Amino acid sequence: MAGPKSTTSSASSNAVRSLLRAYNENTSSRLKFIDAFLLFLMLSGIIQFVYCILVTNFPFNAFLAGFGSCVGQFVLTASLRSQVNPVNRAEFKDVSPERAFADFALGSIVLHFFVYNFLG
Amino acid sequence: MQVLWLFALSAATRAYAASLTLQTPRVTITGPDAAELLSESLSLNAKATPSLALGPSDVLKLTFQIVESEEGKGVQPHQTFLRFYDEVSGEEGVQPVKVTAGGKAKFELNMARPPASLPPTTTNPLKVTLLLGSFVHSPAKYELFDLTVPASQPLSQHPSEAAFHPLPEITHTFRPDQKIPAKAVSAFFAGFLLWPWFVLLALWSQVGLRVPHLLSPHILPFVAGIGAFEVLLFWYWVDLKLGQVLLYGGILSVFTALSGKQALAKTAQWRLGRK
Repeated sequence: MAGPKSTTSSASSNAVRSLLRAYNENTSSRLKFIDAFLLFLMLSGIIQFVYCILVTNFPFNAFLAGFGSCVGQFVLTASLRSQVNPVNRAEFKDVSPERAFADFALGSIVLHFFVYNFLG
Repeated sequence: MQVLWLFALSAATRAYAASLTLQTPRVTITGPDAAELLSESLSLNAKATPSLALGPSDVLKLTFQIVESEEGKGVQPHQTFLRFYDEVSGEEGVQPVKVTAGGKAKFELNMARPPASLPPTTTNPLKVTLLLGSFVHSPAKYELFDLTVPASQPLSQHPSEAAFHPLPEITHTFRPDQKIPAKAVSAFFAGFLLWPWFVLLALWSQVGLRVPHLLSPHILPFVAGIGAFEVLLFWYWVDLKLGQVLLYGGILSVFTALSGKQALAKTAQWRLGRK
């Protein structure tokens, strides 16, 4: 992968590789599970946005619903992740992981209600 | 007394019956250099009225005396008008004429300075008529002559004249309807949206998270409640009205909240117990 290109590219690929290794070793599987979902949401949102730019936004309500659900779910999931991350325990002393999940579930249901409303 | 009254009545009827006529009506046209171009006495009973023409700076003079037809005495009628009438365009102008107490009248039409009563003219002749009105005589009307004068200037356009016409009809142009893109393009992108799912499932399977308590009686009602909410919202999209969704959602939320409280309390117990 790090072919004989230039020193900067090999250095940056080294950095990326070490970053990935550190992530794999130091992240709990629960957080990886959430991260995978975040990545999924990001990719879905990007593809919908590209479709909107390249092809059409014609059923604009549908685009809003699809894209908005991705963005909104990403925000909710990201906040869930930051609240259940043991590293951030000091910052969210009053928020137990269960409380965070309840917030996440409630927020998701409200978000989905609006998304279906927009879907028309 | 009665005889006197009868006499007065008969005098009045006699006087009213007496009509007015013109004596020595004469028309003269002089050029700009005071040269007399035409001098003609008019006959009131002629079948065809004479045709006269005026140049742009000629002067027309009309003189006559109004007399009672029977006694030949000069009379000043109460109203004396000259009427200029264009039979083709229907334009007309009426010019009062001054008459002396002896019935003599003189009218002058200077084409260099035409009076305001002269109607707008074309090349068509104007019919000139003398109208006499009196309280004690029968009214009289004499066709004097046809007068051709230089055509008047076309009417100048008023600055705001254009504002007094109907505006062109307003035609609205609408943006064309948006089109659904070709099915193949839509299908391609819809298929393209599948691969984040593959990424998600691949990563999740790699992480290999186990959920040992999912089917425990403490957790299952909560998960079922959330699932029911999602089904309800999907059903809302397909069929339901907003009021129904709020009703069912309200009922479901009580159940889900209670089961969630129990489930999460249990989870917290496990978490703290494990530590």
